[in-house]
Amino acid sequence: MLLGTLIYGFVNSIILALVALGFSLTFGISGVANFAYGALYILAGFLSWLLFNSVGLPYILAAPFSVLLTAIAGALMYRFVLLRIRGMVLSEVIATFGIGLSTLELFKYLGFIGFEYTLPVFIDYSIDIGQVTIDMQRIFIVVIGIALAVFLWFFTHYTKTGLRFRGIAQDERTALSLGINSDRVGTLSVSFGAAYAAIAAIVILPLGTITVDHGYEVLINALAVCIVGGLGSTGGVVIASFLLGYAQTFTATYIESHWVMVVPLVAILAILVIKPSGLYGEQKELEERI
Amino acid sequence: MSASPLLNVSNLSKYFGGVKAVNAFSFKLMEGELLGFIGPNGSGKTTVVNLITGFVKPSGGEVIYRGQDITGWAPYKIVRLGIARTFQMVRPFYQLPAFKNMIIPLYSPRVKRMAGGKYGDRDAIALDLLEEVGFERDSFVAYKIASVLPQGYLKRLELAKGIALQPDLLILDELFSGLSLAEVASIVPIIEKLRYGGMTIIMIEHRLKELFRIADRVIVLNFGEKIADGLSKEVMESAEVKKAYLGSEED
Repeated sequence: MLLGTLIYGFVNSIILALVALGFSLTFGISGVANFAYGALYILAGFLSWLLFNSVGLPYILAAPFSVLLTAIAGALMYRFVLLRIRGMVLSEVIATFGIGLSTLELFKYLGFIGFEYTLPVFIDYSIDIGQVTIDMQRIFIVVIGIALAVFLWFFTHYTKTGLRFRGIAQDERTALSLGINSDRVGTLSVSFGAAYAAIAAIVILPLGTITVDHGYEVLINALAVCIVGGLGSTGGVVIASFLLGYAQTFTATYIESHWVMVVPLVAILAILVIKPSGLYGEQKELEERI
Repeated sequence: MSASPLLNVSNLSKYFGGVKAVNAFSFKLMEGELLGFIGPNGSGKTTVVNLITGFVKPSGGEVIYRGQDITGWAPYKIVRLGIARTFQMVRPFYQLPAFKNMIIPLYSPRVKRMAGGKYGDRDAIALDLLEEVGFERDSFVAYKIASVLPQGYLKRLELAKGIALQPDLLILDELFSGLSLAEVASIVPIIEKLRYGGMTIIMIEHRLKELFRIADRVIVLNFGEKIADGLSKEVMESAEVKKAYLGSEED
């Protein structure tokens, strides 16, 4: 029983990390809190469902194609909306939240409710660890989650674009003075975040059904992990994912499963009271503007 | 000097609310010149640099570089055109080692273009440039993270980043401030070398003695307006300058 809780808690933690990585990545680089994140996640889910079921693409193509389309959607959102309100944090939040809200509600309006939309699992097989049975999809999620985190680290440390990302993240003015196109890096950062959301969606959604409401849940989970871990801190995201992941799993096992959704909300409130910048976040000092 | 100027700034203005930070400021800069900007604190020197390099949008006037109107361009475009600047308050990427700070400018499209389409061995170039500005190679100081480096090295890093961009015009915003006499004395030859290599340089300075030794020409700003423009010696003799500048500040 405890072993099962520990294993499923681990999987749940990785799921949270996967969901939050993209949000954290975008915020860490360009300072944009992308409140359309949950909508992008659901968009990727429905896109791959449509490409697979309506267009008839093999799933091995439908999945990566929907990641690409979601990344493009993120880039367009930055280019045509966020770029105009760059630096005005409140406007950015309202704009992304508005886009997210209207995307999700559009899905509802178009009739993407009621029917059980599901994505296929990659390998329909399960294995036993001790007395605990775990399906391959969950193992796959763990593998992908770790792979994406490792990839992100290598990307930001060893590639040209990655180094530019870090430059912009650390000091945008310096980056500009060294010839980095901050608009392009900003576009890429939102696009990358969207792609991460899409990959998360494609590996996680086969565990359940795709619903519009799930988009809000994903956003809340991503926010909770990032706020607890410290906005923009990848290490913080990992730690917070495990804290929240295990908290949720233990809540489900020992209290009651419908209390699970309260965990991220309580965590947000608690961290805001105890350490508002999050576990690993730094409260940035007010900088001089000129 | 009948050739067209490298940089032609005319009637450049910037108002912050009702404050005229820079007011109808004009000057021409010839290729190969070393021009000094002096003036009391708050006289608008750094704002002029921000206006030229695109960090602040002007309220009026224009900046012409090699005959091209670059007024209000984005900073990264201006850099790629060949105008680099350093910051008065050093702005390295504090979480990166010194030599990684150098890799970012070395990735600039301009550097690639100047090198004929190939970047070359960036790590080696970065270490060479750092050595040139005084990062002793055998001390491994170039591998230290910028946040632990003392001010003297950070200033040198600012200069090295500017040089790495291979600019035609390099703008140094108070490079000497906060440095010891010995440190300044060790940097002066680097600047002279750049200048004899053909680079055009603008220096904002409060360290007048050192500046006058190397500058061809000096422009004096006060309350956002140009009050003198001429050879170093002549400028210092001007009564207005003495009153505005030396009267208000000892350095």
